[in-house]
Amino acid sequence: MAKRFTASAASPLSWWLLAITMAVVAGVSQSALTQILVCSASLIAILMFREEAPWSRSVKFYLFLAGFVVIARVLFRIAFNIQNPEDTTALNLPGFSINLGFGPPVELFGAVSVEALSSGATDGLRLAAIILSIGMASSLANPRTLLKSTPSALYEIASAISVAINLAPQMISSLQRVRKARSLRGRSKGLGSMAGTVIPVLEDAIDSSLSLAASMDSRGFGRRGNLSKSLVLAARLSSLMAVGFLSVGSFALLVGQTQTLGWVFIAIGIFATFASIRINSKSQIRTRFEPVKLQFFDALILSLSALLLIAAILGWFE
Amino acid sequence: MIALHDVSFGYAGTERPALSRVNLEFQPGEFSLVCGATGSGKSTLLRILNGLAPHFTGGSLSGSLVIDGEDVTGSKPHELASLVGFVNQQPESSFVSDTVKQELVYGMEQLGFKRDKMTDLLKHVAKLLEIENLLDRPLSWLSGGQQQRVAIASALAAGQKILLLDEPTSALDPEAAAEIVGVLKSLAHQHGITVILVEHRIERVIELVDSVVIVANDGLVTKGGYEQFENYHLVPPVIGLSTELSWSPITVSVSAAKDNWNQSPGSWKPLVNEHLSEAVAMDVKDLSVSYEELDAVSKVSFKVHTGEVVALMGKNGSGKSSVLWAIQGGGKRSTGSVKTQFGDPKSLSAAERLCVLTLVPQKAADLLFLNSLADELSESDKFAQLTDSGTSKIFESLTGRLDPKIHPRDLSAGQQLALVLALQLVKGAGILLLDEPTRGLDYAAKRSLAKQIRALRKEGKSVLVASHDVEFVALVADRVLELESGKLVSDKLAADALGVGASHPTQISQITGVPGLLTLSQVEAVQK
Repeated sequence: MAKRFTASAASPLSWWLLAITMAVVAGVSQSALTQILVCSASLIAILMFREEAPWSRSVKFYLFLAGFVVIARVLFRIAFNIQNPEDTTALNLPGFSINLGFGPPVELFGAVSVEALSSGATDGLRLAAIILSIGMASSLANPRTLLKSTPSALYEIASAISVAINLAPQMISSLQRVRKARSLRGRSKGLGSMAGTVIPVLEDAIDSSLSLAASMDSRGFGRRGNLSKSLVLAARLSSLMAVGFLSVGSFALLVGQTQTLGWVFIAIGIFATFASIRINSKSQIRTRFEPVKLQFFDALILSLSALLLIAAILGWFE
Repeated sequence: MIALHDVSFGYAGTERPALSRVNLEFQPGEFSLVCGATGSGKSTLLRILNGLAPHFTGGSLSGSLVIDGEDVTGSKPHELASLVGFVNQQPESSFVSDTVKQELVYGMEQLGFKRDKMTDLLKHVAKLLEIENLLDRPLSWLSGGQQQRVAIASALAAGQKILLLDEPTSALDPEAAAEIVGVLKSLAHQHGITVILVEHRIERVIELVDSVVIVANDGLVTKGGYEQFENYHLVPPVIGLSTELSWSPITVSVSAAKDNWNQSPGSWKPLVNEHLSEAVAMDVKDLSVSYEELDAVSKVSFKVHTGEVVALMGKNGSGKSSVLWAIQGGGKRSTGSVKTQFGDPKSLSAAERLCVLTLVPQKAADLLFLNSLADELSESDKFAQLTDSGTSKIFESLTGRLDPKIHPRDLSAGQQLALVLALQLVKGAGILLLDEPTRGLDYAAKRSLAKQIRALRKEGKSVLVASHDVEFVALVADRVLELESGKLVSDKLAADALGVGASHPTQISQITGVPGLLTLSQVEAVQK
């Protein structure tokens, strides 16, 4: 039998790239079918490729969050219901009108149309798809290996990144330990007891993330050569531009009104990212003992991401 | 090699400085031990030497630090990485890679070494730490001692001349700890590396170190030889014996103490074997725990009597924790039964179990979650449906009265443990299970914990304590069970298990060679 591929056959960067592409596809697409496809693809990938590791135990949490978002969206649509006389009514609930003392009265419930329900569900599904694709990456990618491949260009925020990347998987293992400890005190393991677990879990997770960051720094992570002042300034400016344009661009795409502008912004953002990495890597002194090789599996994932991205740009998912 | 001039350090929001006006020097190839009470500035001192304090810990630093002739005051950890290697308490929490080889080269990669040089240095350091055969192993497969070796190797791989270690043996059993300490000594004395070690368990290293640094609670730091241990209260039994019998100069090694004792043996009183009840509080039969393919515990049977303290000893990974959790009922149990007065704890609800037995896990602080001592105590009373403040009564009997407004996280490790004991015992459980309770406690805290356990025993509680701390077990236990790879291999009275000729004798039995003499408290002091 052929050896089964597991998550570590590919680099964690590949998983994150695939996840981000899938999230973009889900973000730009208006059809519920695409969202469902993205959701199920993420889940199938997790179940097929995951390994026995602390960070792969987070699936339940992401599923719960995704389900919660869909339900919340639909419930919101039912409660804050804007009625359109042309729509077909699906549910006829009694309406309320609440006077807040300012502005026009707020209308709650009333006749809920099929269209409102389905658009609520699609909206919820879109967020769920984004959550699950990110969940896929964080369950499959080894956070430590990812951290190791963080470009030193990002050093200025690298300690923060290392804490952040490691925090979610760490929180899940802390949560398991603290819940076990709480059951020793005879307290329930249910959701109601969450409040009591938040403090020890967070404290533990942050502590251990910080200790990892401290250990990396003690071993030389973040060392760099000298850069002239103007280059440092240029590097900072381009990093700032990269973050700014990428966020505004993705927002524009998600809102959906200004698609072309969104893509233009994202293009500028990507350009600025490369510029920033380029300038910063001039000061890079890091070497590699074993050069990172692109595995067959990586190539597969990357080409899949590229295909998805092209399809998204061509508008196949709309 | 290292010089500190007038270094003071204080954390934000505290008035008391962690370190005040420290002047210290360390020579190349010096093996130095840093000791002090829990919560004294000893870890901070270590972290100042590689820039983690204040860059990672916060706080404010004054004074100057010179390493290898260069003033490096205020340098960041990564700027000192080629000079100083740092090893954390828990190596597994600081690993960045999947395999041993990747972990060893990580530091060199960050420092920009060429590939050929990395290959050479990798071979060299692997040989130095005797881990050549582990290079391709995943880090998660390694034992605790092997992990610690890898952590030391990766701290030294780039040719660092200074090695800092924060309690490297705290999670290791005595054999693994002795090996690691031996490795450290040869690094210092044969390879000229300056090794500075923070360690609570002085007895594990004292005979091998060149100098001792003591950090007092007021932040004052002194460096010198063994003479510093005179009139110092945080010492192992061997030094305690030397002080009790007024030996001069002070004796720190077991072999020197043996000679002294043989010349003029002290007088001692026999172990008082207080009457033990015949009543069985807990009957464990054929207990097995297996995880997938691994048999962690196989067919373990033993009894614990009412008012008896039983110690469960064995190497790391021998199944001690699994036994405790399986008895308690919250952990996995594959086969077997546990009989108590109220039936098998496995069949009871979590809240009902607390009336029968209670477990305090390795990280006792996990059980605390409110913002003040008073809140914890009153919440516990409410949960136990007590109208009087029963929890604080137990807590005060264990540690005395404390400021109720204090945050549980600000209590010392020993006080936290006492608080957890009080919270866990308030529903009247007759059986107490403790998992490695002495981890992170200094000698004074260990002694007071031992006293608390003996007091609970007097009240008729039965205690089962998992530990590999021989000296602590000698202070508390009536009987010692030993586990090896999940099997119960011996069940003896404490005097036999820890006395002369046993596999893990206490320091006092090694020194005196007297059967039935285990602890310092049995020896009568000699007035000077």
